[in-house]
Amino acid sequence: MLDVQNIRKTFNAGTANEVRSLQGINLKIEEGSFVVVIGSNGSGKSTLLNAVAGGFYVDEGRIDIDGHDVTRWPEHQRASLVGRVFQNPFSGTAPHLSIAENLALASRRGKVRGLTPALGGGLRQQMLDTVKTLGMGLESRLDNAIGSLSGGQRQALTLLMATWLKPRMLLLDEHTAALDPRSAEQVIRITDRIVARDRLTTMMVTHSMQQAVTYGDRLVMLHRGKIIQDFSGAEKRRLRPEDLLARFEEVRRADLLDVSAAELLRRRYV
Amino acid sequence: MSLVLSALTIGIILSLLALGVLISFRIFTFPDMTAEGTVTLGAAVSAALIVHGYNPAVATAIAVLAGAAAGAVTGILHTRFKINGLLSGILVMTALYSINLHIMGRSNIPMMSVATFVTWAGELGAATGLGETVRFLGRPVPVNDLAVLTVTLLFVVAVAVALLAFFRTHLGTAMRATGDNPQMIRALGASDGNMITAGLALSNGLVALAGALLAQYQGFADVQMGIGMLVWGLASVIIGEALIGTGKLGHLLAGAIFGSVLFRLLVAVALRWGLDPNDLKLITAGFVFLALVSPGLIKKLRLRTPTEARHA
Ligand SMILES: Nc1ncnc2c1ncn2[C@@H]1O[C@H](COP(=O)(O)OP(=O)(O)OP(=O)(O)O)[C@@H](O)[C@H]1O
Ligand SMILES: [Mg+2]
Repeated sequence: MLDVQNIRKTFNAGTANEVRSLQGINLKIEEGSFVVVIGSNGSGKSTLLNAVAGGFYVDEGRIDIDGHDVTRWPEHQRASLVGRVFQNPFSGTAPHLSIAENLALASRRGKVRGLTPALGGGLRQQMLDTVKTLGMGLESRLDNAIGSLSGGQRQALTLLMATWLKPRMLLLDEHTAALDPRSAEQVIRITDRIVARDRLTTMMVTHSMQQAVTYGDRLVMLHRGKIIQDFSGAEKRRLRPEDLLARFEEVRRADLLDVSAAELLRRRYV
Repeated sequence: MSLVLSALTIGIILSLLALGVLISFRIFTFPDMTAEGTVTLGAAVSAALIVHGYNPAVATAIAVLAGAAAGAVTGILHTRFKINGLLSGILVMTALYSINLHIMGRSNIPMMSVATFVTWAGELGAATGLGETVRFLGRPVPVNDLAVLTVTLLFVVAVAVALLAFFRTHLGTAMRATGDNPQMIRALGASDGNMITAGLALSNGLVALAGALLAQYQGFADVQMGIGMLVWGLASVIIGEALIGTGKLGHLLAGAIFGSVLFRLLVAVALRWGLDPNDLKLITAGFVFLALVSPGLIKKLRLRTPTEARHA
């Protein structure tokens, strides 16, 4: 479903602020697979998801989604294949528009938007039914502005919007990180239910080791713009949070070693 | 009485300008200077065509298209060439000054001796068989002026209703969302750049329509007539928001119309009381400045509860 071939991305190349965010990533994801992405801050998780969604063009490499070479497709064109939920609950919805209007926008993801009424037809009944499944009581507030909702409610709605039309690829970037524990739990459960129901091919970034081991059928770990670990099958199922923490600690030690070795060399030769 | 009728009519015509500004400034938060050039463009195109014997309706329609094209150019400068929005508008506005002079061939086109929409409205008034004047509040009111006022009002209301319907379609909803959250609209598969360009085209089409009707009503087009119009439209929008609120789209549109009419009436009264017309733009700018730096002022001016405010 997703085929990422040796992509690289360097921000601010040639300046003092140069960051090599992606340094040759290869990743093939099978249809229906639910991949959890973890890694320390700045390891390139968001950059990887952005590269797939088309927030920028990669410097090198190629990205295929569902057999289409989308490497040079602009973001809005890729949206016909990709559904997204962002970390920030404010990013995924239009605050001044009503819940119904936001959902109506999502019902045309990747399609032509014509001059027919946005809220016409049987859409409203469908909205009532679907929003009810969230169990948040939002079905009675379809005409309220989304800006009046809590972060958790907005993320749940953004999730509905991203999956209203079944996306070929669902990208979730720490979509529960900004929520209180209860809402986070609620949203991750809804996520799991929708992904399982529609058998969505999914990439989910998370900082929660608990989420990382509980959800998904595959787990990749990023470090400094590279994939350094890839668990799947029984191996993934056996993972415990402690294993991941131990692996993080290992990586951190290796980094420290790198730093002290560099310092040693610098002192000796410079 | 005639003075009041004329202030009302001009206020109604300029509410099309206010609707245009509402779209660019409020829906897209894009301070679009193009408007200053497209008011004149609309006036110039319609006047030039009408004096060349074109049907006023056709001339006005072409003026609208010309305005929309100018707005689209600003949109393209901003979204494709990544030029700052304010500067994009200023570039197009400046270019339009020369273009308007070319279209007009001189700096002023009088239309006293040709048929315009005003002539038509007058004929409609005559056909009602009410005679020259009717009495209103004990005073004689020219039927001709009343007819022009009515026709203009009906036309503007029709435009506003069409706009409201448009903004409730899939395309219109996507446009509103673009101003709200461009990131989200890209993620849902619409190009925010195209939406902004289309929105500016729509906005400037309306502004050109205001210019075209204003020229026909005044009986002349002048190359200077656009100066200060953006701030004028903004003032109308702000008054409208204070009067009617910002809770619903319909309120915003109705507010722009009421704001424009009320503002024009206030100005007419102030001029009548001896305000120096040269100070008008200074006072308008001061008013908009005050309204912009103190959003709380609007809330205090409003008699409604602040919970109805657009932001939640
Ligand atoms: N648009 C950008 N311009 C410049 N640098 C960027 C940009 N986007 C990301 N980076 C840099 O790329 C690196 C990787 O960032 P990224 O956001 O992908 O990390 P992350 O793994 O998502 O981290 P976090 O867990 O903190 O979200 C960081 O050093 C970041 O500063
Ligand atoms: Mg991130």
